[in-house]
Amino acid sequence: MSDLTPLRDLLDHHVVGHDEVKTALLLALVTREHIYVEGPPGTAKTRLAEVAAKGSELDFFFYQLHRDTRLAELVGDIVLERRKVKTDGGAPGTAGEAERIHQRIEPGGLLTAEVAVLDDISRAPGEALNVLLRILNERRFGAEPIPLMAAIATGNPMDDEYYNEPLDPANLDRFALQLRVSGLIQSGVDEAKTLIDRFASGSVVEQPDPEPVTDRATLDALNKRMYEVEVGAAVRAALLDVLRTLVLEFECNETNSLLTDRTFLVKAIKILRGAALLAGRKAVDLPDLAALSWMTTFRVPPEAHEALPRIVGRVSRQIQAV
Amino acid sequence: MTLTAPDHRATELAAAFVELRTALGRVLVGQDDAATGLTLALLAEQHAYLEGPPGCGKSELAAALAALSGARTHTLVFHRDIRETDLLGDVLLSRHRHRGHERLRRELIPGPLLQAEIALLEDLPRSPGEALGPLLRILAERHALGQPLPLESAVATGPLEQVEAPIDPLEPGQLDRFAVQLRLTGLLTGGLFDEAAVLLERGAAQEPSRAAVRSTAGSAHPPAVMSTATRKAAQRAAAALQVEPRTLDAYHRLLDRLRQRTADESASGDRLMSDRSFSSAALRLVRAHAFLRGAPAAAPRDLGAIRYMVAHRLPEEVQEDFDHILEELLGDPPNVTMAETGAQMPGAQSQGDDSDGAAAASPASDSWIDDQADLPAPPTLFGKPPPPAQVDPLLRALVGRIERGRIDPDTDPGGQPRGYRPLRDLDELIDADLIEALLFADGRLPGAPRTFERKRKSAGGAVAVLRDISASMAGRLTVWSSQVVLGILRVAARRRMRVGYVEFHHRALPHHVGGRLLHRSYSRLAEQAGQAKAVGQTNYEAPLRTALEGLRGGSGRNRHVVLLTDGLPIIGDTTVRRERQLARRLGVALHTVFLGNGDCPPVLDDISLETGGLRFYGRPLAGGGLRLEER
Repeated sequence: MSDLTPLRDLLDHHVVGHDEVKTALLLALVTREHIYVEGPPGTAKTRLAEVAAKGSELDFFFYQLHRDTRLAELVGDIVLERRKVKTDGGAPGTAGEAERIHQRIEPGGLLTAEVAVLDDISRAPGEALNVLLRILNERRFGAEPIPLMAAIATGNPMDDEYYNEPLDPANLDRFALQLRVSGLIQSGVDEAKTLIDRFASGSVVEQPDPEPVTDRATLDALNKRMYEVEVGAAVRAALLDVLRTLVLEFECNETNSLLTDRTFLVKAIKILRGAALLAGRKAVDLPDLAALSWMTTFRVPPEAHEALPRIVGRVSRQIQAV
Repeated sequence: MTLTAPDHRATELAAAFVELRTALGRVLVGQDDAATGLTLALLAEQHAYLEGPPGCGKSELAAALAALSGARTHTLVFHRDIRETDLLGDVLLSRHRHRGHERLRRELIPGPLLQAEIALLEDLPRSPGEALGPLLRILAERHALGQPLPLESAVATGPLEQVEAPIDPLEPGQLDRFAVQLRLTGLLTGGLFDEAAVLLERGAAQEPSRAAVRSTAGSAHPPAVMSTATRKAAQRAAAALQVEPRTLDAYHRLLDRLRQRTADESASGDRLMSDRSFSSAALRLVRAHAFLRGAPAAAPRDLGAIRYMVAHRLPEEVQEDFDHILEELLGDPPNVTMAETGAQMPGAQSQGDDSDGAAAASPASDSWIDDQADLPAPPTLFGKPPPPAQVDPLLRALVGRIERGRIDPDTDPGGQPRGYRPLRDLDELIDADLIEALLFADGRLPGAPRTFERKRKSAGGAVAVLRDISASMAGRLTVWSSQVVLGILRVAARRRMRVGYVEFHHRALPHHVGGRLLHRSYSRLAEQAGQAKAVGQTNYEAPLRTALEGLRGGSGRNRHVVLLTDGLPIIGDTTVRRERQLARRLGVALHTVFLGNGDCPPVLDDISLETGGLRFYGRPLAGGGLRLEER
């Protein structure tokens, strides 16, 4: 039970299933981290992002990326300023007149939004995303801080049949949380039946605009409380052991993984705190380490990612035994 | 006056930089070398290039240097759309009326980068060519728009080359503008778990107030530890430091050793010991090193500063050994070393190993790539080398194909500008020539303004060589195919293409370096290619599959596979239908070279024709040699 329960209920009301994505979305809002959700078309990726944003009454920027996406489309308009300048003209007898031309950006879009949904991010040319993702990371544009809390990016699977370039590893690292979703119907889970039943019974309206159930002040307060969540020595030791296992046993290195210090030594602490806070606790507990699975999805080789719950379990038992 | 008490003043100035070094070390856990390297760079007024995996703190360290030093700083984030005006400053368009005619002139007003004392150049390798060229020139000349710049140090950051990224790596010649070159390692991937624990503890203890400040206003930077006057006085004092004669002597010997080691064939990595860097820049750093430890003159031990220069100038093995080489040298009495050097003079009898011989034969830094004599000799049969294969026609055709592939004919928004083209729609005004766009807006341009035409330059490209080593390839064919492989490696090395090498018989035997099929360890592969032994039967499917899987990950378009064989495939899918399809989809050109006797198997023609590859065969020559000709 936490302050975000109403928002979670709202997500449940609008979208069937996808428990993990919903939890991770709330985690992103609380920890102010960005999230990347990858899945085939029609798996409610964009819808979830939209409901979360509107349900928390945040300024919302939606952008569908494409092959020709340019920076200006994301950050506002490019303005050319022209100012008349007097010059002496150089030589005698010349009347001088000059124009100084300055190019700047009138902030808009991403620079003024609190939540940004970047749809189909894998369609934009990898290289073009560089500046966008740097803005996301630093949360400022030039010297100006921006109000952005979280960016929610979606992408299609990087298989051959989808015509997109794989994201640049450095760019992918900007999204602390990373999840893979699959369609309910395709994967044949029980919720597929619920999904169809709900549409059949008319208990969901197809595209209603969600009413806000929480607001920025609540999220700000939660974010502040997050830093008060205690991260004890045992949890830190366990986290380090999990990372050590990934490096030493699963041979994650610079070429096959994105096991970056920024993400796993700095942001991981935030994610763990956020997970504890969402569970209504004031200290991080060993089971919270399960949230690491949402960080490793595209950062380590698949076999290491799949083994993560097992590694966390083993490490937790060892730590408890000490 | 400082002139009357130089020692006291110098100590004070050095102390300021020692404090800078200490504060910098506190910013990042476990990156002490980088902290020292950056401090030396600023003290010696040299440029620095920082590379490392994402998220290891490159930008943070560079920003901290700027903040701590109190220098006027400008940060520029490079991206594909960066323009000349971002780099230099605003455009001033002036119109002068003079005796009835009007003269239009376009000038640039120096922008913030040109006024900066420290320039932070983030993600420099992402810069398009038209910005990179002028920038590197400015950095070298410290002069722009007709005036000297206040620039002391430019600190550039870039990704590690190994990471698959859709960008061209900078060439060693471009990186040479940065005297200091530092390679950062991640704590986790570098196995520095104790340091990682410190970082975790720091994060767990972080005050909510400070964290809140960070999250809204970016990184909180430490306050300056010195004034601009102190910084400049220290730089002047460090530059004026004497270099002891024995230090110069040791430096010459160090360069000798580095040259010898660099000429060793088995070493992989860059080799570029330019005059520019190893004369003035190196000595400035050596002086700065001495100044930092409070010495009155640069002693031989200050040559340790050279260690911060070598990341892109010496092969990796030599870099790793640098400290050892220096230590050994400083431990040696000079006369012994002189005698040793004398023994290697041309004409003197040298019974040393091969690498020393190669060093004497070719002291130049990067001529190894072009000089066939440097590559290991192909294996000989019956003690006598067979007549060589004439592989040039193949190499010429292959080079042509590679060059053509370097510029994709399609325009690409992510590509680099290559000239101008007419505007097609108004969206493209962003990319249009600034002046023309303005004149257009005023209605004074008869047509539409021109816009940049962007074409993608491939990211170096890659070539995988598949070499048949089945039993029938024994004898001369082994030697000839080694020559072909070595030729291709030379072509690839010259263009910094990544290479892969797969030997195959009934199975594919890929030669991985660092766990990857494609890499730039040319000489390691060259050595490998000289050792092939012919066994087993022929299978095309396995090696093609292996190569295509390896090429699949990259996004570059300039991708080639060269299949070298003497016979029909017997094992596996002999039509390699799926592999041909995959190659077409990936846009990989499959070139085939048939070295056997008799008719070329039709499947080889199919493979090449379908994928736009070249077709070659070996024509036996009268003297027993072989000439590669197009089929």
